[in-house]
Amino acid sequence: MSPITLIARKESAELLKSGRGLAWLLALSVILSVLSLLLVSNTELSLLDNAQVVYMVMGTITALGALLAVVLGSDAIAGEKERGSLVPLLLAPLSTTDIVFGKMGGQVVAWIVTYLLSLPYLWAVGSSGQNLAEAIVYLAVFGTPVVLGFGFYALGLSARFGSVRAALITALITLMLLASPLLLGPGLRQSVIGKAFDAVNPFSAAVNSFDSVVIDSQPLSMQLGRLSVTLVWLILTLWFARRSVQAVEI
Amino acid sequence: MLIGITNLKLSLHDRPILNGVDLHMQPGEIYGLLGPNGAGKSTTMSVLTGLREASSGSLSVLGMDPWSEREELHRQIGVLPEQSGFYDWMSATEYLRWFASLYGRQLTIADIGGHLTQVGLDSKNHDTVGTYSRGMRQRLGLARALLNSPKLLVLDEPTNGLDPRGRREIHDVLLGLSQQEGVGILLCTHLLDDVDRLCSRVGIIHQGKSVVEGKLAEMLATQQTGIRYRVRLLSPPNDTTLPSGTRVVAKEGEWWHLDIGAGQHPDAVWRALLDSGWAIGEIHSEGGGLEELYLNLTMAEAAA
Amino acid sequence: MKKTALWLGACLLLIGANATWAAVPMEITLVADNANPQSPQMGDHMKFISTIKNSGNAPAQGVVAWISLVQVDSGNEQPVDLEDWSAHKAVTQASLAPGGQITVEWPMRLIQAGDYRVVISAVERSTQHIITSPFIDFHIKRKPVVESQRILPVAFGVPLMLGVLILWRIRKRWRA
Repeated sequence: MSPITLIARKESAELLKSGRGLAWLLALSVILSVLSLLLVSNTELSLLDNAQVVYMVMGTITALGALLAVVLGSDAIAGEKERGSLVPLLLAPLSTTDIVFGKMGGQVVAWIVTYLLSLPYLWAVGSSGQNLAEAIVYLAVFGTPVVLGFGFYALGLSARFGSVRAALITALITLMLLASPLLLGPGLRQSVIGKAFDAVNPFSAAVNSFDSVVIDSQPLSMQLGRLSVTLVWLILTLWFARRSVQAVEI
Repeated sequence: MLIGITNLKLSLHDRPILNGVDLHMQPGEIYGLLGPNGAGKSTTMSVLTGLREASSGSLSVLGMDPWSEREELHRQIGVLPEQSGFYDWMSATEYLRWFASLYGRQLTIADIGGHLTQVGLDSKNHDTVGTYSRGMRQRLGLARALLNSPKLLVLDEPTNGLDPRGRREIHDVLLGLSQQEGVGILLCTHLLDDVDRLCSRVGIIHQGKSVVEGKLAEMLATQQTGIRYRVRLLSPPNDTTLPSGTRVVAKEGEWWHLDIGAGQHPDAVWRALLDSGWAIGEIHSEGGGLEELYLNLTMAEAAA
Repeated sequence: MKKTALWLGACLLLIGANATWAAVPMEITLVADNANPQSPQMGDHMKFISTIKNSGNAPAQGVVAWISLVQVDSGNEQPVDLEDWSAHKAVTQASLAPGGQITVEWPMRLIQAGDYRVVISAVERSTQHIITSPFIDFHIKRKPVVESQRILPVAFGVPLMLGVLILWRIRKRWRA
């Protein structure tokens, strides 16, 4: 088995077997459960179309996936350094490429687990069936590069700073910044600056695609521009993570 | 030659850290690298294990350049760093099995059990490493360093956190590896007792520079440094003949002060005295020997 | 002189009274659109149609007509803010000729379940009181946007499953 696979398996096992990892998954599922119960019980939220509910849940899943990716990524290198387990790893017959891709493999598994955990919630809120299948597919197509990009970005910060706290704070601020247009609402996003920001923001690209496909039933061909934004984000963060790990100082 | 380092220099952020370190070690030797805190011992070890690139100097470890050929070097050496962490959520068996797989080795539970037993850990203990004491973690680190049957072991403070009995057990393991399997062992420690008992060759560095390097016995003989002991006798000896190089310096009732000369190993002297019928109740070291040598050299270097 | 003053006063009174009686009579009708759902529920669209007629002899100036919605559930009677219900809340007509009429459609989306009463009101510049249409009562059924039969098992089941998994892991460690 290749070192990349071995490290990725170890990272995945830590998520699924350690108390900390399972606790994170439990927290994510509780958040989705609370959101789902609010949708059922709250009369104001029940004003929304079923398609809008599905869209809202998709955005929440993407945000939660990005949050988990940021937490795991921030700990990936700096956490090992702080716990003293990085040096033994660097003394094993591994290249830095093995280490960084192995860590990234762990991020991929974490997103897959989050995605699979979220599917029952999507099914449950998608009762009218409007574009539910598209919702499941597009969450994978657009959610994956956005979430993994945040994970790789946090991994790079973890290697650069050598401190979990510094990496986590920086990554969370970036996440909040990129998610801010969605919190500010459509009105503010109609300004020149808002539109420009929306055009290059991978988070906006994903969420706007969810809107277009699930609510407005637009085809994939109309989302290619947004898809390219998310893919550029993924490639840039992957490059950043790899360069950062190669420059790690013990 | 297992390790050949001459005039090693290293600067970090334009600050000189190592300024001329020499280290030469043969296969099967146990080499003690001594120096005060901050002398550069751990930095030297990080360079020769390929974790840092030297600024200048001639370096060869197992015939390889440690920086450019570090991946291959890591296949053949075992290292116990000073700060050695693990994955606390794994058991020792899980951890060693996973770590061995990084070397391409698929070890069975029995193999892992053998490694754990070798360093004095219970192979049936399934507790997570997070519950381990400092001494247990140190032993586990040594087991990890031995996973790939290395030709060279590089150990930074290997007996840290161990009680005297634990230290003696580790000493026996290291002596066995050196004498029976021909493994070269580079020991970085500030515990002179460890060096005294284990090492045939010693290097002392101070302020990033080698002060002296060579065979321990020769260095002690050259420095003409003996070791003084205070011995309590249960009864006056009938035969007061002392081994060569040993002399009685003073007597205070049942307490006798003995000087064991350079080149004489204290264990051999006590054996000889016991065989002669000496009833020895207690033995206390009063300094001298390697300690005196070390202090003399490092203080001289500091004064220079 | 006295008689003249009396006649003048009586004429003034008559003119004043005539001024009052000269307020343009308007009539408003209100009917529900035939296409409205028989049993409307939340999210449905309904339309009401009203006709505002000037049944007087003089033109009606500055006519303003608006729709009002009131919730009439027992114990929960309250006016309804039409913000989410309808974007079409009022119409204006600068002048409505005698005998003339305007027909206005009042579309709305049914936002909340309950019992409601809708009425159209109008004023014109010379009138001192509001003219109203007959009101129409209707009931909006509750429609769950999200089916609780699907949500509840998932919302409780997934965290429960993870919780059981965590406890099993802990127990396994203790036993080992």
